[in-house]
Amino acid sequence: MGDLSFVLQILVSGLGVGCVYGLIGIGFCVIYNASGIVNFAQGAFVMLGGMITHALLQRAGLPLPLAAAISIVLVAALGVVVERVVVRPLWNRQATMFVMILATLAAQIVIERLTLIVAGDQPRTLPVFTDLPPIRIGTIAIGYQFLWIVGGSLTIVTLLALFFRMTNTGKAMRACAINREAASLLGIPVSRMLALSFALSAALGAIAGILITPTQYTAFNVGVPFAISGFIAAIVGGFGRPFGAFLGGLMLGLVQAIAVVSLGAGLKNVAALSVLLVFLFFRPSGLLGTSK
Amino acid sequence: MTSLLATTLPSRFRWTDTLAWLPWIISAGIVGYAFLSGGYVVTLVVFALIYAVFVIGLNIFMGFTNQVSFGQNAFAAISGYTSAVLTTAYEWTTLPAIAVGVALAVLCAFLIGYPTLRLKGHYLAMGTLAIGLITYEISVEWSSVTQGYMGISGIPPLGIGAYEVTSDRGQLALLVVIVLILTFMSARIRTSRLGRAFFAVAGSEDAARALGVDVARYKLASFILSAACAALAGSLFVHVVGFVSPEVFGLHMVILSFTMLYVGGIGTVAGPLLGALIVSLLPDTFRAFKDYQDLAYGAVLILLLIYAPRGLAALFDRYVPAKKVGGAP
Repeated sequence: MGDLSFVLQILVSGLGVGCVYGLIGIGFCVIYNASGIVNFAQGAFVMLGGMITHALLQRAGLPLPLAAAISIVLVAALGVVVERVVVRPLWNRQATMFVMILATLAAQIVIERLTLIVAGDQPRTLPVFTDLPPIRIGTIAIGYQFLWIVGGSLTIVTLLALFFRMTNTGKAMRACAINREAASLLGIPVSRMLALSFALSAALGAIAGILITPTQYTAFNVGVPFAISGFIAAIVGGFGRPFGAFLGGLMLGLVQAIAVVSLGAGLKNVAALSVLLVFLFFRPSGLLGTSK
Repeated sequence: MTSLLATTLPSRFRWTDTLAWLPWIISAGIVGYAFLSGGYVVTLVVFALIYAVFVIGLNIFMGFTNQVSFGQNAFAAISGYTSAVLTTAYEWTTLPAIAVGVALAVLCAFLIGYPTLRLKGHYLAMGTLAIGLITYEISVEWSSVTQGYMGISGIPPLGIGAYEVTSDRGQLALLVVIVLILTFMSARIRTSRLGRAFFAVAGSEDAARALGVDVARYKLASFILSAACAALAGSLFVHVVGFVSPEVFGLHMVILSFTMLYVGGIGTVAGPLLGALIVSLLPDTFRAFKDYQDLAYGAVLILLLIYAPRGLAALFDRYVPAKKVGGAP
C-alpha cells in the first residue's frame, strides 16, 4: 500500500512537470505553424523566464507577481529580437531549413553564455507561489506549486484556444499555418505574424520557466534539456498541434517520473531522449497526428 | 594585334587556378609557422588539426551528402572513452586501443544510422542531437567505467609499441600526416563514383533514386565515413591531452565544429582544414575564458550563416558549381 501511494505521488509530480513540457511544446508549435521553422533556441526562453524573475525578485526586490510579469514581457521582447536579428535575415535569404536550425541553436548557445557571464553559474530557485503545507488526499501530498502549475497551464491552454479561435490575429496565424502564400494573398501580414509567433512562443517558454523553477532550480544551462523535452512533447502530439503537444508533455512527464522511480534520477534525460527516438523511428507523426 | 597576342599566350592559364591553391598555402603557412616557432602555437595547431579530422568527416556527411547531424560528437565520445578505458584500466597499447575505439564507434554508427537516416529535416536534426546528448548523459552517469564528471586521466600519448610521440613537434608532424591522408581521401571520394552518388543524393533524393542510386545505402556509407573520422578525432584527442571528461565531447564540440565547417567552406576539400586552423587561432585572445569562446563561436556562426554561407574556401574553389541556397525553409 505504501508502494502504491509512493508511485501515485511520483505520478502527480510527473504530471506537474508534464504540464510545463506541454507549454514548451506549444511554444514550438506556435512558431512552426506560423513559419515552418523549428526554433532550437526555445530553451533559452525557459531558462531566462526563471533567471530574470529571480534577478528582479532578489536584486530589485519586486514582489513575485510583478517580477514574473516583467520577466515574461522581457523574454517576449527577446523572442522578437531573436526573430529580427537571427531568423529574419535568413528567412529573407531563403536559407535552408538546416541552416535555420543551426542558426537558432547557435542563438541558444549565445544567450546561454551571455547569461553565464552576466549571472554566473550558480543555480537559482524561486520561492513557491503559495507557502502553505501541501494538501493531503489520503496518503498523497499535493503541493500548492503543483496546483499553480496545473492551473496556470490549463488557463494558458484555454486562453490560447480562445485566441486562435476568437480573435482576428489568432485566425490570421492559423491561416498562415494552413497556407502561407494564400494567407499573404488575403492580405495577412505574414512577416508580422512571424514576429508575433516568436513573441508568443517566448512568453510561453518564460511562463513555463517561472512555473517550474520553484520546484526545481534554474541555471544558465537548463535550457537545452527543457527545449528537448518540449520538442519531444510536440513530436508525441503530432508536430504543429498545440493541444497534442500539451498531451504529449503530460505523457512525457509521466514516463520520466516512472523512469526516475525505476532507473534512478540520473537517467531522467536518457529516458526522455529514448522516448524521442522511439517516436522518431516508429511513429514520427505522433500519437494524434497524421503523417507530415 | 591583341587577338594574336591572346592566342599566343597559354590559353589555359587563369588566375583562378592559382587562387584555388590559396587555402592550401594559407594552411601550410600556419602549420609551418607553428612548427618553426614552437611553444603555445604548436598546442593550438595540434588541437586545430584534431578538430580538422572531425570536421573532414562532418563535411563528407553534410557538405557532400547534404544531410544533417548534430550528434557526431557521440562517435568521438565512444571512441575516445574506449581508447581511454582500454589504455588505462586494461593497459593496452595506444594503437590497438584506437583501432578498437574507432571500430566500436563505426559499429554504433551502423546500428544507429540505419533507423536514424530514414528521418528527414527537423526530425533528423533532433534525432541526431538526441544521440549526441544520450551519449553525453551516459558518459556522465556510467561512472564505474567513465568516472563521471571526474574524467579519466593518465592516458598514454600516441605511439606505436614502445615508441611514443611525446614532443609537441612530433605530435604536430604526426597529425599533419593524418590530416593530409584524410584530406586526400576526401578529395578522392569527391571525384569518385562514391562521391558522385553522395552529390546526387545531396541534389535530390528522388532524382538520385531515379538514376539508380541506392539512396539509403549511400547515406549510411556517408554517415559511417563521417563517424569514423569523428571517432578517430575523439581517440586522437584523448591521447594527445592525456585526459578525458564528458565536457570534452559536449555540445561545445558540436557548435565549434560547425563554426569551423562554415568558416572554411562547407562542401569543399580544403574547407575543413582551413576552417579548423582559422577558428582555433582567431579567438586566441579569449583563450583564458571558455565562456567567451563559445559566445564568440556562436555569434560568428550566426553571422557566417547569414552573410557568407559558403565560407572562405568556397571563395577560391572554382570547381564547385555555385550551389543554390534555395527552397523554402
